[in-house]
Amino acid sequence: MKTNVAVFYGCRSVEHEVSIISAVQAMNAIDREKYDVTPVYVTKDGEMYTGESMFTIEEYRNLAELLKKSRKVYFVREDGKVLMKSETVSFFKREKPTVIDVAFPIVHGTNCEDGTIQGFLEYLNLPYVGCDVMSSAVGMDKSVFKDVLKNAGLPVLDCICFRAREYTADKSVVTEKIKNKIGFPLIVKPVNTGSSIGISKVSSEEELDSALMLAYSFSDKILVERAVEHLREINCSVLGNADSCIASVCEEPFMNDEILSYNDKYMGNSKTGGQSKGMASLGRKIPADIDEEKTEEIRRLACGIFKAIGAEGVARIDFIIDTDNNTVYANEINTIPGSLAFYLWDATGIKYRELCDRLIELAFKRQRNRENISYTIDTNILSGVSFGTKGSKGAKN
Amino acid sequence: MNHFFTVSLILLMLCGVFNITRQLQMLQQNSYFPSRYTKWLKTNIPFFQFLLYFTVSVLWCAGLYTLQAAVCSAALILSVYYCFKNQKESIKKLVFTGRVKRQFAAAAAVYIILFILYIAAGDALWGKICAAALILVCTVTPITVYICYAVTLPVEKMFAAYFINDAKRILKSYSNLKVIGITGSYGKTTTKFILTRILSEKYNTVCTPQSFNTPMGIVRTVRENLKPQTQVFVCEMGAKNTGDIKEICDIVSPDYAIITSVGPQHLETFKTVDNIFKTKFELADAVKDKGKVFVNGDSTEIKNRIQGKDFFVYGTDPAAAAAAENISYTRYGCEFDLRIGEEKLHLTSKLLGRHSIINITGAAALAYSLGVSAEEIRFAVASLKPTEHRLEIKKSYNGSLLIDDAYNANPEGSLEAVRVLGSFDGMKKVIITPGLVELGDREYECNFDLGLETARECDIIIFVGEKRSKPMTDAVNTTDFDKKNMFVAASFREAMDIYSRFADSNTVLLIENDLPDNYLY
Repeated sequence: MKTNVAVFYGCRSVEHEVSIISAVQAMNAIDREKYDVTPVYVTKDGEMYTGESMFTIEEYRNLAELLKKSRKVYFVREDGKVLMKSETVSFFKREKPTVIDVAFPIVHGTNCEDGTIQGFLEYLNLPYVGCDVMSSAVGMDKSVFKDVLKNAGLPVLDCICFRAREYTADKSVVTEKIKNKIGFPLIVKPVNTGSSIGISKVSSEEELDSALMLAYSFSDKILVERAVEHLREINCSVLGNADSCIASVCEEPFMNDEILSYNDKYMGNSKTGGQSKGMASLGRKIPADIDEEKTEEIRRLACGIFKAIGAEGVARIDFIIDTDNNTVYANEINTIPGSLAFYLWDATGIKYRELCDRLIELAFKRQRNRENISYTIDTNILSGVSFGTKGSKGAKN
Repeated sequence: MNHFFTVSLILLMLCGVFNITRQLQMLQQNSYFPSRYTKWLKTNIPFFQFLLYFTVSVLWCAGLYTLQAAVCSAALILSVYYCFKNQKESIKKLVFTGRVKRQFAAAAAVYIILFILYIAAGDALWGKICAAALILVCTVTPITVYICYAVTLPVEKMFAAYFINDAKRILKSYSNLKVIGITGSYGKTTTKFILTRILSEKYNTVCTPQSFNTPMGIVRTVRENLKPQTQVFVCEMGAKNTGDIKEICDIVSPDYAIITSVGPQHLETFKTVDNIFKTKFELADAVKDKGKVFVNGDSTEIKNRIQGKDFFVYGTDPAAAAAAENISYTRYGCEFDLRIGEEKLHLTSKLLGRHSIINITGAAALAYSLGVSAEEIRFAVASLKPTEHRLEIKKSYNGSLLIDDAYNANPEGSLEAVRVLGSFDGMKKVIITPGLVELGDREYECNFDLGLETARECDIIIFVGEKRSKPMTDAVNTTDFDKKNMFVAASFREAMDIYSRFADSNTVLLIENDLPDNYLY
């Protein structure tokens, strides 16, 4: 018998399709000698489906057809096990429930990567790969992330945050504040989108309003930070848990535009035929062309950041180097990076298959740690309590 | 054939079903050993059932069928009432397992067959015989229990064989699984939990729950708790007879073994300590060529018998392969150095007492040889929690320290607890104890020994109950212990009042064999 790994992907997110690409890659990389893989595709409506066709990326071109070939499932906890069950179609066509041993969420963006799916798995008490609820949530909200890092003494660019209604109520107050505290050029970001969605660089006051309004269409909360004029983007991945982790080699992604946009990351690069191959196909240099000292600094910071937010599994941390003064800033963390950053680990000497294996082992390790801590007291405290009028009588004794 | 009589029989059959519940419950709680059930029965004879049998038979002979039906109705009402009352009040209720259901089915079959025969016979003599038999089995239910047990036995054996084979199949299908067997007269359950805690730092570990240590308990654990990702299975093995351990080993085929102790437990079935030794070491024979066998060198019965054999010895003897050295006790628990070969690990634990340290030593030595790092062992051992009221360190009155050993009631353990108290160097050592009870002939002697030990190790002695503590005061009076520091309190509350006069942050109090919960500060 093999350990059954349920890979969750898709979900109600703007990065739905990216997640499908990442997940299909991972499902084909997981060691099938050791594990059974159960795909769990979550539609944009939040319905869950499984089926054999889901291992092939081409099948996703026609979603309606794919779902017709698959079966709708739901998850329940029974007798200390987590079961995946299907809706009963008819009396004769009844599927046996599948026991799930561990979950592997490969989802990107809000409504899933931000602790949502982790909370669902936690509720089922099912071991799962990657960050827990809190570190996922911290990793998703760029402003909270920066606060945590600042507290831990890690380098981030200063920023200010606004809520949407605060801005629309009196645009001039906010604009004034931005002008005084940050100055131009600056970057406007929704706090919780990944893959550069809704991010824009603003060079003058005239461009500010449209940038802010664009950002507000993705999130209720936006942050504004100084734009580093001459920058290099360097990414580094971390694998492990808050007790012990390792950093990968660094990469430097190529930028077409001034900021690496969603088009660069997932849509572009069509000339090389890399479309729909995800992060792995993006133009980049591995290892990044930076000196050894800087590389070590970034790798050390990456591990520090990973531990500071209490991350687990594999994460990719994106840094900015201000080339004017050669200073490194942490920009953001991807708690479930596109393609699980396997291309970075491959370059570090850990093959994709082994990466998946280590991630699953880490999930079990966390579960063991949790089981060693008692969350409930076995005796029912209420069993000895009398309620209502009897209770007040009892208190006299 | 009288209709009232037929009705009586039907009522009696229903009576039987309700009355047998209690009997089956006791058969279950005696682990389906008819001999043990009989032993229970001897002290719990169901007089009501005999009375009912007698009454019904007399009424039948007298031909008072109407009265008989009335008696049976009353009996049925009483049976139903007592059946539910009993099930509600029992601490350990009847669990409706497959086996219990089959027993009920067998009882029902016996009743129905006899009833059909009685109907079919009409007025023939053998109809009367069947009716008489039916009345007997419906009223005196222990008879039915024995019948059911005998009838279902072949089926149960078949089920057991199926489950055992299934467990073997499961174990075989997990090719990378390591199985660790733990046995011993004492300390095996604690060692199992300590080992599981340490191993789970590195491996997905499953152990037999509670003190499941019979073949069927282990088979159940394998079938229900083992998962594909399980890397180590820690299996506690219990024995009451020679061959018991071998039987379990044949199912789980262990790769590693720990033998925690050999002592005079279950002597009535084993006859000699030699037999106990042989039985425990059936585990060593099963492991022989595959892995290491860890044995407790502090157990004299083991030490004397393993000279020159290839075992991994652990304990407090410096010559042992894994030895606990420099043991000391502090406010936070115990500290010691564990030396395994060349490696030396400094460990701390909240568990107190020599036996705990020995158990940790064995478990840590095995975990170490399975590749758990020194750092992981140190963390796991430090996070072990003591069992409630078993040498548990707590805070007490006025910043003083309390060692709560309230649930300890065996003579050896009590002496060890006093020695633990004695090892709190530089602190004022106080004991409160009412002594030991329920030890029969040995009671005076054991309490006398406890008294001597307290005089040796304590600064202040507070005994509870003048009459109960007589053997201990006698013992203290034979020593040169300053009598001013010995008190005899009438009650536990009074003992605590006396204690509160001495308690300060440099005082350590041992509460031995008494419940302190209501008196904690």
